[in-house]
Amino acid sequence: MTKRDWIVWMAGPVALLALGFCLLAGAAGWGIPSDVIFRLRLERMVAGFVVGAALAAAGTVFQALLRNPLAEPYVLGVSSGAGLGAAFAILSGAAAWHVATMPLIAFVFGAATLFLVYRLALVGGRASVYGLVLSGVIVSSVCSSMLMFLIWVSPTPVLHGIIGWMLGNLEVYSRPLLLTASVAVALGVVAIRAMAPELNALTLGGDAAHYAGVRTRVAVPLGLGLATLTAAAGVSLGGLIGFVGLVVPHGVRAIVGADHRRLVPVSALAGGVFLAVCDAVARLVLAPRELPVGVVTAMIGGPFFLLILRRRRRGGWLE
Amino acid sequence: MNACEPAAIQAEALCAGYRGRPVISDLTLTVAAGEILGVAGPNGAGKTTLLRCLAGLCAPLSGSIRLFGKQLADLTGQARARCLAVVPQETETPMAFTVEEIVMIGRTASLPRWRGPAAGDRAAVERAMAYTDVVEMKDRPVTELSGGEKQRVIVAMALAQEPRILFMDEATSHLDIHHRLEIMQLVERINIEQGVTVMMVSHDLNLTAEFCRRVLLLKDGKLLGDGPPRDVFTEPLLRQAYPCNIHVQPTVSGSVAVVPAPRFSERAPVRGARIHVVCGGGSGGEILRRLTLGGYAVTCGALNEGDSDARVAGALGIGAALEKPFLPVGAAALEQARKLAKDAAALVVAAVPFGTGNVANLILADESLSAGKPVLILDGAESRDYTPAREAEARMRVLRSNGAEFCRDPADLFERLSPALARAPGGGAGKSP
Repeated sequence: MTKRDWIVWMAGPVALLALGFCLLAGAAGWGIPSDVIFRLRLERMVAGFVVGAALAAAGTVFQALLRNPLAEPYVLGVSSGAGLGAAFAILSGAAAWHVATMPLIAFVFGAATLFLVYRLALVGGRASVYGLVLSGVIVSSVCSSMLMFLIWVSPTPVLHGIIGWMLGNLEVYSRPLLLTASVAVALGVVAIRAMAPELNALTLGGDAAHYAGVRTRVAVPLGLGLATLTAAAGVSLGGLIGFVGLVVPHGVRAIVGADHRRLVPVSALAGGVFLAVCDAVARLVLAPRELPVGVVTAMIGGPFFLLILRRRRRGGWLE
Repeated sequence: MNACEPAAIQAEALCAGYRGRPVISDLTLTVAAGEILGVAGPNGAGKTTLLRCLAGLCAPLSGSIRLFGKQLADLTGQARARCLAVVPQETETPMAFTVEEIVMIGRTASLPRWRGPAAGDRAAVERAMAYTDVVEMKDRPVTELSGGEKQRVIVAMALAQEPRILFMDEATSHLDIHHRLEIMQLVERINIEQGVTVMMVSHDLNLTAEFCRRVLLLKDGKLLGDGPPRDVFTEPLLRQAYPCNIHVQPTVSGSVAVVPAPRFSERAPVRGARIHVVCGGGSGGEILRRLTLGGYAVTCGALNEGDSDARVAGALGIGAALEKPFLPVGAAALEQARKLAKDAAALVVAAVPFGTGNVANLILADESLSAGKPVLILDGAESRDYTPAREAEARMRVLRSNGAEFCRDPADLFERLSPALARAPGGGAGKSP
């Protein structure tokens, strides 16, 4: 058993411990709460786990397919696009028709945003790293201002919900939505894991993957679509939470290596645990008041990311 | 080789290009199994397009491509990968995969999705790594490897596909000469030992000539030549492909060497005086070259035909008085050389060994001195005198007492040349060229 296998096997128990910690941490302090509160916490933990897993898995795929260390749902504008779609679904009342409507509209908006970002970055048949990041930032901020506009013109009763959701909120308003999003994320992660050999080959670029026998015309759009779907399902559940899709795959890659057979499942697991723990911390820090979870992900994720970068520079991306 | 076996690559009436602009037009090509084939030609000739087409990366505009008798377009990704592998110029590996993981990517088409690599995949990877000698670095991240090591890993990745055809797309052009040779010898071994058909695209004509038994010369998407390097890399054909002055010489290993000589085009301006050089046996090469680059009009002789200095003179367009090969310099050749020396403003004697055959050239130095022209001689003639009667040594003594300048080395000679010309009675005029 190599050191890496050992780490992968240890990941399970560590994750369970961390999730147990989340259940014990609440706005009212430590301890095993009453039945009702416990259920709320459990739901919230599941939501955090699902959203974190979705963002981390999507980030892993984007980084591999776009061969860009900065690629993640938030940077590429997929999160903002999906967020705009979700807000649109809430405000237009479409979200009330069916529980799957909101994730679906979020997916369509996210996919459209990714397509737009990709097309804008395309110069001579190739999307450069800088082109993608630049167009991602621009399209993302356009989406954000459109979201602002929607909030500004929206009637007050819905307003509060949307703003809370924009900052990232894992409180579960609708149990069917939690279920739908969880199923979508689970299917997405499994499908992404099935593409691991292709993802490995595609990190060497489209041509090299083609030589190795990958049908790139199918595999690349399929991978991007799956990642967008997974991210959109996560966003429709948890709102706009940045950094998870960036930090988690990098950290996991530094520990278990670049092979997507291990990277995808471990990233999803680590992303889920990471976000659930961040949410628990958000409840604890200013208890009884709560912090938006997005603030915590950035505040924990940033230094953590820098630490990894310094210590395991060789293990992550090339400089 | 089985006579019934279909050709490894068969392209018929192939037209290919980008967005309707054909880069390759009506190209028909058959490559037999086990061949090692080079593709040469200027930038934009369609070499890379041809290779990308044959690898199935871009669809031909018209025409058909068959690999071992099967239509390329009908092959599944897996079947294509088992048939053909490509080593590109550079493979960027942004993530820190280990060497073994990279080689395993060569097995992508056959890897199980859920379980780990099957026994067959592992065996193929082990074999490929052993063959390319990368086993020892199998756990190192590829991002840490040097260019040469990395390219060996990429060759291993291609080999792990167990292909029957291997394409090399400028695969050695960013490597130093040692690693270039290493990769090419590896590919040659793969070709010989495993019978893999190799097709390499390269700008390095000499490397292509050294390793390929057959070369294609492409220009504007058409075949200019197809055959053994000796028949294709000829001066007329190469000048048709590349609009520059090209010289082809046989090499020590029996292949051909292609040398571009753009700095010595016939219209090089002559600014300085005319200099005659007594040289031979390779002693004059550097002097002839530097004098020509310095803008002097240069002549040399007398020399034997086929002497390496005579070849340099030919390449530089320098007038030379020539004697038949292996004959002592006779009266006619000496008379010709005397004429050249008379027209020159100065005479230079290179570090040429003297024997009975060429010692007569030193008479020219004597005559130039008597005519009041500067004579510059590279020192140390005593050690290069192979005449039985030490004739050269004796003549050198006379030349020294008559005022010839003796120089330590070519650099010293060039430093002294222009002052010597300025001091000469005619002001270094000589006969205007």
